[in-house]
Amino acid sequence: MGDSASQVPRTADLPGAAGPLLRVHGLSKSFAGTKALDGVGFEVNAGEVVSVVGQNGSGKSTLVKVLAGIHTPDPGAVIEHRDIRFIHQDLGLVPGLSTIENLDIARPLGLRGFRPAKAREERQAAERMIRRFGGDFDVTEPIARITAAERTIAAIARAMSDWSPTGNVLVLDEPTAALGAAEADLLFDAVRRVAAEGAAVVFISHRLDEVLGLSDRVVALRDGKLVADVPAGEVDHDRLVALIAGSELAEFRMEHADERGRRALRARGLVTDVLRGVDLDIHEGEIVGVCGLLGSGREHLAATLFGAMDRHAGSVTVAERALKAADPAHSIRHGLAYVPADRLRQGAVMTMTAMENLTLPWLRPLRSAFGRLDRAAERGETRAWTDRVALRPPQPDRPLRLFSGGNQQKIVMAKWLRMAPAVLLLDEPTQGVDIAAKAAIHELIAEARAAGTGVLVSSTDTGEILDLCDRVLILRDGRVSAELGRHELSEARLISESLGLSTTSAPRHPLD
Amino acid sequence: MTLIDDTETLTEHPYERARPRHRLREALSFRSISAIYIFAALFLLFSLWVPSTFLDGDTWKAMLDDQAITALTAVSLVIPLSAGVFNLAIGSQVAVGSILSAWLLSQHLPIPATVTLTLVAGAAIGLATGLLIVRARIDSFIATLGVSSMLLALTTWISDGQQILDLGAAYQELATGQLFGITYPVYFLVLVALAVWYVLERTPAGRRVYATGGNLDAARLAGVRTSTTIVLSLIACGLIASAAGTLVSSRLATGDPSIGPGYLLPAFAAAFLGSTQFRGGRYNVWGTVIAVYVLATGVKGLQLAGAPVWIPDLFNGLALLLAVGMAVRRGDTGRTSAIARLLRRRRSSQEA
Ligand SMILES: Nc1ncnc2c1ncn2[C@@H]1O[C@H](COP(=O)(O)OP(=O)(O)OP(=O)(O)O)[C@@H](O)[C@H]1O
Ligand SMILES: [Mg+2]
Repeated sequence: MGDSASQVPRTADLPGAAGPLLRVHGLSKSFAGTKALDGVGFEVNAGEVVSVVGQNGSGKSTLVKVLAGIHTPDPGAVIEHRDIRFIHQDLGLVPGLSTIENLDIARPLGLRGFRPAKAREERQAAERMIRRFGGDFDVTEPIARITAAERTIAAIARAMSDWSPTGNVLVLDEPTAALGAAEADLLFDAVRRVAAEGAAVVFISHRLDEVLGLSDRVVALRDGKLVADVPAGEVDHDRLVALIAGSELAEFRMEHADERGRRALRARGLVTDVLRGVDLDIHEGEIVGVCGLLGSGREHLAATLFGAMDRHAGSVTVAERALKAADPAHSIRHGLAYVPADRLRQGAVMTMTAMENLTLPWLRPLRSAFGRLDRAAERGETRAWTDRVALRPPQPDRPLRLFSGGNQQKIVMAKWLRMAPAVLLLDEPTQGVDIAAKAAIHELIAEARAAGTGVLVSSTDTGEILDLCDRVLILRDGRVSAELGRHELSEARLISESLGLSTTSAPRHPLD
Repeated sequence: MTLIDDTETLTEHPYERARPRHRLREALSFRSISAIYIFAALFLLFSLWVPSTFLDGDTWKAMLDDQAITALTAVSLVIPLSAGVFNLAIGSQVAVGSILSAWLLSQHLPIPATVTLTLVAGAAIGLATGLLIVRARIDSFIATLGVSSMLLALTTWISDGQQILDLGAAYQELATGQLFGITYPVYFLVLVALAVWYVLERTPAGRRVYATGGNLDAARLAGVRTSTTIVLSLIACGLIASAAGTLVSSRLATGDPSIGPGYLLPAFAAAFLGSTQFRGGRYNVWGTVIAVYVLATGVKGLQLAGAPVWIPDLFNGLALLLAVGMAVRRGDTGRTSAIARLLRRRRSSQEA
């Protein structure tokens, strides 16, 4: 707080397009007790895509927020850039407003001040803009009611509207975290186009294949320090992992077993606004994957099973008991657990501490005399779990929102694993999570499965589906269009089935 | 409270022992207990300015008594605020409690029956408001504004806009009787504050209340019965507000329909200011109670020093703005401000 009076970073218009469009030098940022950035410096030239990689909490988002002026850097930093646009990690959309309103369509249409809004034109303009990035959804719905992937597309469309790339800077902080391969490709095309028109692009992602495929140069951060600034052509996947982690990382391999346990969950004829009759079984100790494009129903399936979303028809049965629709508390009591894709809005109470989030779904065992919460027991149990998921920093008393995305997700996973659920429903379980934490979370999933939990993984990350799943359901237009066993799985197959390109597998019933 | 927590953690696991000095400093910092520092400053100021009257024990006893009802109202408000519900009807609820009890007495009902019926009515009002919010899905801001106006109508209807006089010495004893020189409402306040503090900060139920207020969706998906939580928080609030109303009429032995609404602003000012104390931005009972008395000390000192009668309103208004200002400024520090969240929530107009 006290540094507001001290030196303000210099933000100057740089001369001509010849020099770098973004230049950062000696940039540090301290928060109470932590140094999130420590003397970071790099440049980005016109037409260049620079990827910033690093583990959770290494300072990537802090860098973006300093560039955006959200945080004031420590004195001594030099930051120079031209007109700069951002897609923040939390997207920065207003939840109560529609896509149209968030896009601020009126401006490009020249409707300023008090001129009456032209509803139809605005809607069409908004639809055109989201379609450029593969979006096809109701632009009049409030942002709070569209899915995470749709929200990302709205944020991208907003950042790129009414903006001339030439000579300017675009910064994207984990834009693909909620996007599937096909949608991400549309985004990459747009990014390449923007770079080709002479923009400088800063791209942040934990998906290393994206980083390698898209960028000209890679900048790696570790504990707030810049540890590498190398041309992308000089690194491969393993080298990148070593740069990020500071050491070789043993990658986690899922052990698959061929026999399946008893049926843990049975769903029949699920119908919602998007799903049009989905049948599904999950067995004990089985990991079932769900793939599909945006709008296929993939992003609704886990939520509907759990009761986070209402269903119009159909039944969900766990251990021979029919679950009530739209009643999460009831579902939890009968052994379901659900990790939503939208951590910020649904996954956890960010203002509460890590410990409070961890114990929230199941406080009963921590009750002692007079209905009191036994805080020693709570601490003890929390410590066991934060050790097990390797929470960093290991301070369960910190408000959750101060942890990096990966560490927040570890807490969300831990809070459900603590309940030893019969069925674990995961929606984008490693979204925004670094490779080390991703391996840790996959390991947790494997442990849960070994304990007999049936797992459903809905993910846009095809690599993750391939790594984890025993069986994969492909959704298309709200129906299960194909079911692939482990031996039929491949990246190409997943994508072609999702797009509906393959003619070999006619819609099949997913059941035995 | 925080102080005790922190000394506890000193002796614990190395994790929490990471920066004990830092934590202690944080707990004693101006930011987390500014009200205490402000109190000290006010105390010093008026001790020097008007020593003879300000330092008189009777002044303090009178102030304790004076503010007990305000503090009670503010404590009742902390419950729904913690659950993320903005109860703008709080002043009218006090008014209904005061007029209803006066009217029931004037119908020759015995005192216990009067008090019981008034409390039941308060709980019922809370229930109805809660249902408007969770069932009819009306935003709490608007629902309680509407309820507030209807309750004022009810007050006027019952009282015919007149004071209900002469409620009797036995009834007046409730609010004016003394034990060790301190009036009953002060003891009652302490009991209620203890109970609310215990439930909010020491029980699973309180955890669920804060979770509901922190993020309704996430709390629901973690199995918290958020609708029930909201309704119960409003029932508890209505119950305490009704009790405060009973004390209002008992204190004067008169039912005055014009008094209750005046509690709205001081209660909110105290709850907001209280949320900036101790608990890092969370609404909390002790912060609220202390805020009430710090504000009262300032007002009292100014009055003794000869300030005009409009000072209390000015002081409370300023305190409210100051509390919110502080919470907003705190935005980029590590703490989590309930007020900043509330303001954001308003802006994004999410439904309750
Ligand atoms: N407002 C804040 N107050 C205190 N500490 C903070 C704050 N914001 C971030 N931090 C800390 O700064 C460090 C860097 O966080 P940052 O969000 O930049 O990481 P990141 O590289 O973006 O991680 P992720 O990949 O998970 O998004 C973390 O240790 C984080 O806990
Ligand atoms: Mg980040």
